[in-house]
Amino acid sequence: MMSTLNKKLKAWPVWMLMGILVVALLAVGAGRQSGPLTQEDRIDNVTQRLACPTCDGESVYVSQAPSSQNIRNEVARQVASGQRTDDEIVAFIESSFGGQVLLVPRATGLDALIWVLPIAVLVCCTAGLALTFRRWKREQGGQASDADRALVAQLLELDTDPTDSL
Amino acid sequence: MLAVAGVSGSLGRAALLIGLVGAVFGMFASVMGTRQHDEKVLRLVPRFATLCVVATVGAFVCMEYAMITRDFSLAYIQKVGSKSTPAIYNFTAVWSALEGSILMWLLILAVCTVIIAWKYRSRLIDPLVGWAMATMFFVCTFFFMLTLGPANPFGKGAAGVLDGPGPNPLLQNHILVLFHPPILYVGYVGMTIPFAFAIGALITGRLGEGWLLETRRWALFSWGFLTFGIILGGWWSYEVLGWSGVWAWDPVENASFIPWLTGTAYIHSVLVQERRGMLRVWNLSLLIATFSLTILGTFLTRSGVLNSVHAFSDSDIGPYLLTFFGVIVLVSVGLIGWRGEKLRSPGTIDSPISREGAFLANNVLFGVFAFVVLLGTVFPLIVEALQNRQLIVGEPFFDQLATPIGITLLVLMCIAPVLPWRKASGELLRQRLFWPAWAGIAALVMSLAVGAVGLAPLLTFTLGGFAAGAALRQLALATRRQGLRGLVGRANGGMVVHIGVIIIAVALAASNSYTRSQEITLTVGKPAQYGGHSFEFVRFVEEKDDRRISVKAEIIIDGSGTYAPAIQKFINMGQNIGTPSVKSMFTKDIYLTLQPPVKVSTNTAKIKVFIKPLMMWLWIGGGLMGVGTLLAAFPGSRRKPTDPVSAPIAQEASV
Repeated sequence: MMSTLNKKLKAWPVWMLMGILVVALLAVGAGRQSGPLTQEDRIDNVTQRLACPTCDGESVYVSQAPSSQNIRNEVARQVASGQRTDDEIVAFIESSFGGQVLLVPRATGLDALIWVLPIAVLVCCTAGLALTFRRWKREQGGQASDADRALVAQLLELDTDPTDSL
Repeated sequence: MLAVAGVSGSLGRAALLIGLVGAVFGMFASVMGTRQHDEKVLRLVPRFATLCVVATVGAFVCMEYAMITRDFSLAYIQKVGSKSTPAIYNFTAVWSALEGSILMWLLILAVCTVIIAWKYRSRLIDPLVGWAMATMFFVCTFFFMLTLGPANPFGKGAAGVLDGPGPNPLLQNHILVLFHPPILYVGYVGMTIPFAFAIGALITGRLGEGWLLETRRWALFSWGFLTFGIILGGWWSYEVLGWSGVWAWDPVENASFIPWLTGTAYIHSVLVQERRGMLRVWNLSLLIATFSLTILGTFLTRSGVLNSVHAFSDSDIGPYLLTFFGVIVLVSVGLIGWRGEKLRSPGTIDSPISREGAFLANNVLFGVFAFVVLLGTVFPLIVEALQNRQLIVGEPFFDQLATPIGITLLVLMCIAPVLPWRKASGELLRQRLFWPAWAGIAALVMSLAVGAVGLAPLLTFTLGGFAAGAALRQLALATRRQGLRGLVGRANGGMVVHIGVIIIAVALAASNSYTRSQEITLTVGKPAQYGGHSFEFVRFVEEKDDRRISVKAEIIIDGSGTYAPAIQKFINMGQNIGTPSVKSMFTKDIYLTLQPPVKVSTNTAKIKVFIKPLMMWLWIGGGLMGVGTLLAAFPGSRRKPTDPVSAPIAQEASV
C-alpha cells in the first residue's frame, strides 16, 4: 500500500505540477520590482562597467585612484541630472574621456571572438561527448573483437586455475 | 654588524648552487637507476632530495636573516625592506615580490620532493616511481636555475643604500599576508606531485599498483590548499581593499582559479577511473593540464605581459617560464601520443544518464569554464598582438559567462549525487529526486518571502536548495547506515564539500545582486539613517608612526559598537590606502569605508556604507569545503571486492 502511494506521489504528473509551480514562482520573482534604485546604486552599476584609466584592469567602481574619482564624479553628475540612461552615460563617458574605458569587449570585429569562442568550445565539447557516447553504444551492441576474446580467455584461465588446484 | 652584511647573500647563493647540484644529480640518479634497475643508484635518490631541501631551507633562512637584519647590501632587501616595517610584515616581505616568491615556490617544491622520495623509497625500483622522481627533480632544477639566474633573490644592490621603501602597502596591512600566499603556493606547487606521477605513468605505459589512490590523494591535498588559499584571498580582498568585493577577476586571481577548475574536473573524473577503470588517458591529461596551467599562470602574471594589482614586480623571467611551459606541453602531448593507446581501457560507458555520464558532463562544464577564464585573461594580449590596440576584459565579461556556467553546474549538483553507476531509469530519478526537488521549491518560496527578485539569483537559490537536498539525502543515507563514519570517504566527504560550494554560490548570488550602497556625510552629534540602520559619527582619531599616518573615523552603528574605517598614508610610498570596517551579522554585513578627502579639523566625515546580504556565509561555506575535503581525504568504508559495484538489477517477479 505504502509503496504504491509512494510511487503515485512521485510519478510524472506530480513532477509536472512541481515544474509548473517553480516556473510560476520564478516568473513572479523575476518580474517584480526590486524597489527604486537610489542614485548611488545607479552610480555603482555604471562605474562597474568602466575601466580605471590609470590602474591595471580595475574598474572605476573598485579603484581609488584620482583618475577614477574624476570619472565617478562625472557619472554622479550625469545620474543626478537624470537625463541619460545607464547605457547612454557609459557611451558619454567613453566619448568624453577617450582611451580605453570599457570593461566589456564589444561584439564586433576581432573582439567578437571572445563571445563566440566559449560557445564554440562548449558546442564542440558537447558534440564530442555525444559522439563518444554513440560510439560506446555501438561498441556495446557490436561483436567482440579477437582481442576481447583473448582477454576473456586469459581472465577465465586466471579465474579457474586457483579453484582447480584447490 | 657591517662585517656580516653580504654574508647571508653569499651563503644563500651558495645554498642555491648546492641545491641545483642536488637536483641535477637526483634527476640523473633517478633516470640511470631506473633504466639500469640499479638499486644502489636508486638508494641515492632520497639523499639528493634531502640535499635539495636542506639547501632551500638554508637559502630561505638566509633570506629571512637578511630581511630581519635589514641587510641593504642585497638588491632585494633594498626593494622590499625598510627599517620601519613592523617585524611580522618584515618577515612576510620575503615573499612580497617576485624573487622571494620564487624562492618560496622552490622551498615548497623541495619539501614535496623530499616527502615523495622518502615515502616511496622502498618502491623506487618501480620504474613508474623512478620516472616520477626524475620529473620532480627536473621541475626542481628549473626553479633552482630561476633563482640563480633571472629571479636571483641574493643579487647585490647599489652601494650606500641605508633604507628602503618596504613592501607594497597592501602587503603590510593585514595579517593574512602571512597565510594566504604560502597556502595558495602549497596548492599550486603541490600539483607537481600528481603531474610527476602522470608523467611516470606515461613513460612506463602503465598505471602501476596503487597509482590511482596515491595520485588522487596528492591531487586532493593540493586542491584543498588551492581552494583554501583562494578563499583566504577573497577574504583578504574584502577586509583590505575597500571596494567591498571578494573577487575581481584580476589576472592573478584567474591564474589561481584556472588550475583549480581543471583540478576540480580531475578529482571528479578520477572516480570513474577508480570505479570503472576508464578515462585513464583523460585523467592524465587533466593532471598535466593543471600543472602546466600553474606555470602558464605564473608566466602571465609574473613576466609583466599582463598587468594587475597583484603584479608587485616585473622581471625578465618571462621567456624562461614560457619555454618551460612549452617543454612541458610538448613532452606531455608527445608522451600521450606515444603511450596513450597502451593505457587506454577497453570498457564503455553505458548511458549518459549515470554517475559516469554526470562526471563527464561535469568535465565538459569545468573545461569550458577554465577555457573562458583563460580566454578572458589572455584576450587583451591576442588583440594587442594582432591589431596593436589596447583592450580591457574586466569583471562584467567574466560575470556574464560565469553565471550561466555556475547555474548549469548547480543543476548537475542537483542530479549527480543520486545517480547510480552504469545506468539510471527515469523512475529511479523521480523517486530519488523527489524530496530534494521540494527542498528547492521551499528555498524558492522562502527567498520570495524575504523579497528576493531577479531571475539569476532566484534560480541560484532554487537550485541551491535542490542541490543541498540531494547532498543531504546522500549524507542521511550514509549516516543512517554507518553512523558518523558515513561522513568519511570520497563520496560522502565530497557531499560535504558540495554543501559548502552551494552555500558559497547562494551567498555570492545574494551579495552580488542585492548589495546596496550610499555615500553619507556625517556630522558629530547628528546620526543618519540608511537601510534601516543608524550611523553616528563620534570623532576622528589620528595616529602617526614613522611608517604611516592613519586617520580613523569612529562610527557607532545602531547605537552600539564602534567601527572605525580608516585612510592610511604610507610615507615611503606616498600612497593612500583605505581600510574598511565591517560589522558582520548572519543575514548581512555593514561595510564602511572612509571617503577622501578627510579634514580632521572639521567635525564632518564622508563615509560610504555598503549593505551586503549573506556575506558571512561565504566564509562558512569555505570552512565547510575545508572540512569536507579532509573527510574526503580519509579512506571511507571499503566495499568488499565481491560487493556489487552498481545498482542492483531490479528483481522481476522473483520467487
